[in-house]
Parts: sequence; structure tokens; C-alpha cells
Amino acid sequence: MNLRVKSRRLGAGTGVVELIGEVDVYSASQAKQNLHELVDGGANHLVIDMRATEYLDSTAMGVLVGVLRRVAEKGGWVRLVGLKPRIRRLFEITRLDQVLPIFESEQEALADLAGKEGVP
Amino acid sequence: MKTPTRVELRIPSLPEFVAVARMTVAAIACRMDFPYDAVDDIKVAVGEACTNVIEHATPESPSPEEIEISCLLEPEALVIEVRDRGRGFDPDLHAQPDPFSEGGLGLILIQALMDEVQLTSLAGQGTQVRMLKRLKPVSTGSAR
Repeated sequence: MNLRVKSRRLGAGTGVVELIGEVDVYSASQAKQNLHELVDGGANHLVIDMRATEYLDSTAMGVLVGVLRRVAEKGGWVRLVGLKPRIRRLFEITRLDQVLPIFESEQEALADLAGKEGVP
Repeated sequence: MKTPTRVELRIPSLPEFVAVARMTVAAIACRMDFPYDAVDDIKVAVGEACTNVIEHATPESPSPEEIEISCLLEPEALVIEVRDRGRGFDPDLHAQPDPFSEGGLGLILIQALMDEVQLTSLAGQGTQVRMLKRLKPVSTGSAR
């Protein structure tokens, strides 16, 4: 299975990226490109929807840390949503869950932005 | 005593072949009746070991090097060796990788997911990661 990436904007400074399939050393560059396009377009708050992410490796984690560094410089954040237990475990092992907060749903991840920046 | 079965695989040291390696070894683990979660651990560990070769061990060259993956199917465990003939590195420098850096996460995952891990590397001669996963976890409780 390859990777499909779907991205959309929610208001001026917020973007949602869906990672569908496998994000590994082969496909991570595709995810990186989509994420950087959103950041370049002004989205400093990023929700990564991983409900349909079937596999994820350290290269993909590196991409997420890289984009976090970019948006954090501008006061932004990256939040993860809908991780399968086996993928969530990888973030806990590496302690990346401490810098990339994990939420059950997109609504939960965006709760503190509701009504701001055009976020519904 | 029955000799353990050995399965060997060689893949080009290229990102698009890492999935071939991890899926092949996962199929072997399934055949050995590892639990589903353990198969997933093995799949991730093999993927990380191969990715490490591609990202760190293979010198820039017009033709890709090869990664050798060897699986020894023992009665109580699966032993996987991932080898390359790359430039090698000093394992001590990678002993305490920073989890918040973009690199260095692969070895943390391998060590957490497998029961035993040995990393051997010699400058100019390549690197070998030997990983062992037991079919049943070793009991740490006291006998009654």
C-alpha cells in the first residue's frame, strides 16, 4: 500500500492533513511536501489526521518533528489525531507524544481554537 | 535436534524496497505463529534497520548497494540479521540518540520492540544489526 495525502485549510492559520496508507522512508517525502506547502501558505496550526495511517516509521516521525520546529518558531503547533494503538505506541516509546500531542478526534484537537481564526 | 530453518533475502539499498523486506519478515513471523502485536513489532524493527542502512550506511554511488536480511527460525525465537557493506560507523556515538532530533529514532524503536539487539559496525566494512524476538516472553515471576 502506498501513501495518499489529503490536505485542507480550516480558517486562516490552521490546516488538516490526512495521511492515508503507509508513511515510511519511501513515502515520507510526499507527506513532507504537503505539510510544508500548508506552512508556506500560512498555516501554523496543523492537525495530522492519522485515522487511516496503517504504518509509520522513524522517517515519518522525523518529518513531523521537522514541521513542528518550523511552526513552533511562529507560535504554532502540530497535533495528532486518531492514531491506531500500535502507532500511538511508537510515539510513546520515542517520547514524541510529549511534543506532538495526541487527540481522539479533530474536534478535540481544535477545541481551544473553536470560534477563532475562522475555525468552526 | 532439528536444524533451524534459515531464510535469506537481498534487497537493493533503496527506499522503495524497504516495504518488501518488512513484509517478507512479517510473513515469516506469521508463519511461526507470533501474536499479531509481535508481528507488528518485528515489521517495524526490520523496516527501521533497513532504513538505517539507506540513510546512514550507504555511500553516495551511482549503483545502489545491497542490504542482506537473514532470518533464523528457531523453535522459540526468530533471529533477524540485517547487514550492509557500507561505510560503517562508531556504535558508541549512536548509543544515546536524542529522541527529539529528526534522526536517531530508529534505533530507539528497534531496542524497545525486540527482545535482544546487537549492533556491530566497523568503519569501512559495514554494519550488522542482530535482533531476536521470542515467541513467548520470558517470565520474570518467581516459581511456586
